[in-house]
Parts: sequence; structure tokens; C-alpha cells
Amino acid sequence: MEQWVVVTIIIAAYLALTLTIGLMAGRGQSDSVTGYVAADRSFGLLVMYFVTGASVFSAFAFLGGPGWAYSRGAAAFYILAYGALGMAPFYWVGPRVAKLGRQHGFVTQAQLITGRFPSKNLSGLIALLSLIAFVPYVTLQMRGAGIVIEAVTDGNVPIWLGSAVAYGIVIAYVLSAGAMAVGWTNTFQGIFMVVIAWSLGLYLPNALYGGIGEMFTQIIAERPELLDPPGLTATGEPWSWGAYSTFILVSAIGLMMWPHLFMKAFTAKDDETMRRTVILFPTFQLFLIPVFLIGFSGVLFPGSPSSSDFILPFMILETDLPALVVGLFCAGALSASMSTGDALLHASASVVVEDGVQQFVDLSERAQRRLMQGIVLLTGAIAYVFAQDPDSSLVLLLASAYGVICQFAPTVIAALYWKRATTKGVIAGLIAGTITAFFFWQNPELKPHEMHEGILGLIVHIPTLVGISLVTSAQEAEHLEKFFD
Amino acid sequence: MNLKTARILAAAYHILMLYFVTWPGLLPFAKAEPLVFGLPFTMAWIAAWISGSVVCLILLDTVEKRYRTKDGADD
Repeated sequence: MEQWVVVTIIIAAYLALTLTIGLMAGRGQSDSVTGYVAADRSFGLLVMYFVTGASVFSAFAFLGGPGWAYSRGAAAFYILAYGALGMAPFYWVGPRVAKLGRQHGFVTQAQLITGRFPSKNLSGLIALLSLIAFVPYVTLQMRGAGIVIEAVTDGNVPIWLGSAVAYGIVIAYVLSAGAMAVGWTNTFQGIFMVVIAWSLGLYLPNALYGGIGEMFTQIIAERPELLDPPGLTATGEPWSWGAYSTFILVSAIGLMMWPHLFMKAFTAKDDETMRRTVILFPTFQLFLIPVFLIGFSGVLFPGSPSSSDFILPFMILETDLPALVVGLFCAGALSASMSTGDALLHASASVVVEDGVQQFVDLSERAQRRLMQGIVLLTGAIAYVFAQDPDSSLVLLLASAYGVICQFAPTVIAALYWKRATTKGVIAGLIAGTITAFFFWQNPELKPHEMHEGILGLIVHIPTLVGISLVTSAQEAEHLEKFFD
Repeated sequence: MNLKTARILAAAYHILMLYFVTWPGLLPFAKAEPLVFGLPFTMAWIAAWISGSVVCLILLDTVEKRYRTKDGADD
């Protein structure tokens, strides 16, 4: 039997298993919106841990991470640095959000914000910005899945078919079972990813160079500029410290503001579970080390892939690994893509319906659930169309999406901790910050010290929020009591 | 340890971490050699801060738990 046939069989088996777990998970869950969006607030530690980890580590980490290590060297360390920093504040913020969720019945981030700052327009604005940030993120995942499948099947399964099959499965279980399916498939896929990444990350440097230290000694001897922080740009010039540092900052600030991650606070069974998840989260971050090692192992390897994002499949195929290993690797990369894609699709539907449509039209629970399922299909279809574009620079789109997402941070912090903040203040801040970020995204040559546009947005956002809040009248004490006790 | 002290220390750790993994705190440690456990120095340096973060949060949680069980409050 030809290698690609064996590989395809392994992938098919893996996808079938994922689908089964996803469909099984929905049984026993209540038919309500809380059931679909927040899994009846029932997730225990194991599920929470992998849900969070697997939704953070996407095709970006699995394909983009090694790609950066391979082409930009030390620049990739920024990805390593931001996760722990971004997650730690959630030790306090998470339980507080969860408590308010239980008290007021919130299931999305925008509900929490507009609970404190009542405004339909604010809710609609958050839903819109979330969706703008979500679409390129889903697109990246789909394209990632398609690329991996195409590469390892020698082009016998093209991108359009690979991404359609992988995401057909994701959509099937997200539609049928919502949050519960996302939880259980992520647990399964999360374990899978960790095992595959460590095995390959340790195997390749040993097999090709005789050890990890030996590999880096050789890289330092032949390509010293690569490992000199902060690494290189995409074109091989030295990267700037301004860009490196603000990439860490914007990603750390934006990380927990992603609606699909923020919503985890509402799915946790109790605060204890959530705190444990936060504590253990940096261990997931260390999982990037083997992923980077895979990328670094390609540096001195003869030949190069068509694009640095393909370094992982390239290394797997060029080192004559057995078909079984190639198949398992492919399943691991698919896990990374699908476990983020499903959470994104699920969250985008919840956000658009709960925070967008529902604010302006009154829908029954049943109609809401139907509409959410419709949005999952629609978002999936839009992303699928974009995913077929061979020139789409998705890593760049994702970095820009972070510029939008991190603008939610001052709003959330003001809602939770600043009594004097007003509705007008947060709306003005959000608009000013987003416009600034968008402006610098369009005009990158104007950015001071090559800083990330998201940070420049925040520099305008925060004073606007504070200034407008202080000149508008404070919220009534009675309203504030519901949020602060 | 007192709850407030523990929280301040945990927050301080993460602020220090932010300083030491970005400019300018990272500058003295921004180098490839010596290799630590086979990894470039900067990579090992960041990994060490991440591991420290786990330890720091576990210690904080131990203190917090003692206070939570004592007065039954959830924060």
C-alpha cells in the first residue's frame, strides 16, 4: 500500500473518533441556551484545562510557531513569553466574572459589559468587533487543516477538500452539541497534541543532529544572527525591540479577551476549577518548546519548504518517517486546528446572537438556538471561502485581530473594577482605540518604534475612557451595588 | 502568610516577569550562549520564568485556599 493511502486511513480514523466523541458529548445536556453556550456550567478541571489549552494552541502554534522558529529564529520566543503573562490576571478576574455570571445569568462577555454599562449599541459594537476578529482566525485554522492534509497526502487530497472534510466534522458536532462537544473533543485533541509535539520535538533534533544542544551549537556556528534576540523579520532583517516587546504585550492583554476564552469563565463548574486551570496553564505554554525544536531542526536541513509555515509537514515528510508517524502527526496538527476552530465557531455564534441580534429582536430560546446554529454555518462558509485564497497572509491577519481584541481589556477591567466608569466613557474609548489601531494597521510606516498597532490603540483608548467617564455623570449607587459588594 | 502579602508578591512576580522578558529587562539575557539544558540562553530564561509562574501561582493558591475555607467566602 502506498504511504499516502495509509496516512489517509489514519486521518480518517482519527476524524471519525473525534466526531463520535463530539456527538456523544451532547447527550444529557439541557436544551437551553445556557446548555448550548455554557454547558450548564458543568466543566471539571480536566476538561477545563484542555479546553483552555487546546483553544489557545491553534494551527498558529502548531504550524506558525515552528515556521517562525525556522525563518525568524529568536523572534519566535515572543510566543513563548506572552501566554503565562496573559493568563495570570485571570486568577482573580475569572472567579469574579464567574460569580457575576451566576448572579445575573450572563453567558457572554458582552452581557457582562452591558450588564454594567447598559447600552444596546455597545452590545452590538462588541458583537461586531468580535466577529471581525473571529473570521480571519477561523480562516487560518481551516487553511491550516487543508495545508497539512494536502502536504502529507502528496497532494492527493487538495486544500479545498481537506478543509471541507475537517470542518464539516467540526460543524457537525458544534451544531448538535454546542459547548459540551467543544469541551470533550478538546480534551481528547489536547492530549493528542501534547503527546505528538513532545515526541517529534525530541526525536527530530536527536535523529538529525545527535541532540538538542548539538543542534543549537551547529546553528550558532552557521547562522549566529538567527538566535540573536529579538530575532529576524520575515525578510531576514534584524527585528526591532519595540515590535518584539509590544507583540508580547498586546498578545498578553488580548489573550483572555478572546470571547471564546473569556466565555470559559462561565462554563467552569466552580471557582476552584477555574483557579486550578489558571495555575496549570503555563504548563501548556511549555509545550511550545518541542514545537520550536521541530522548527529549529529545519534550519540546517538541506532543502526548504515553499513557505516557512510548511516547515513542520516538510520535516516530517523529508526525514522518511514511517507512514504511521506521519498519519499521527497530521492528526495532531488537525487537532490543533480543529480544537481552536470549533471553539471559535461556537463563540462567534453565541456572541452574534446573544449580543447582536437578541438586543434588537426578541427571540424565544428555541429560535435563539436555531439562529446560533445558522450563524455557525454562515461563519464557517465565509471562512471557507477566504481559506481557498492562496495569497492570504493569515499570520498577519491574526496579529491584527489581536489589535482589535485587546481593545476589550480596558472595557472589561472598567466594568469589573472601576465604579466611576460610565457607559459613554467605555463606548468612546472602544471606538477611539479601535480606530487608532485600524489607522496604524493601514499605515504601518507611521508606527513609532514599530510598536504593535493594538498598543497604540490602547494608548489612545485608556485616556479617552477615563476622560469621558470623568466628565459624564457617574452611575447610580443602586446600579453599582449589583456589581460591587 | 497573610493573604494580602501573598497577592502582592504574586502580582510583583508577574510584573517582574513582564520586565525581564521584554525590552529593556531582557537585554542582559538576550544571548544564544551559554546553552542551558541544550536550549539557547534566552529561550531557557523565558522558560524558567514560565515555570516560576506555575510555582508562584500554586503558592498563592495555597494561601488563598486557607482563607477561603476559614471564612467560607469565595473571594
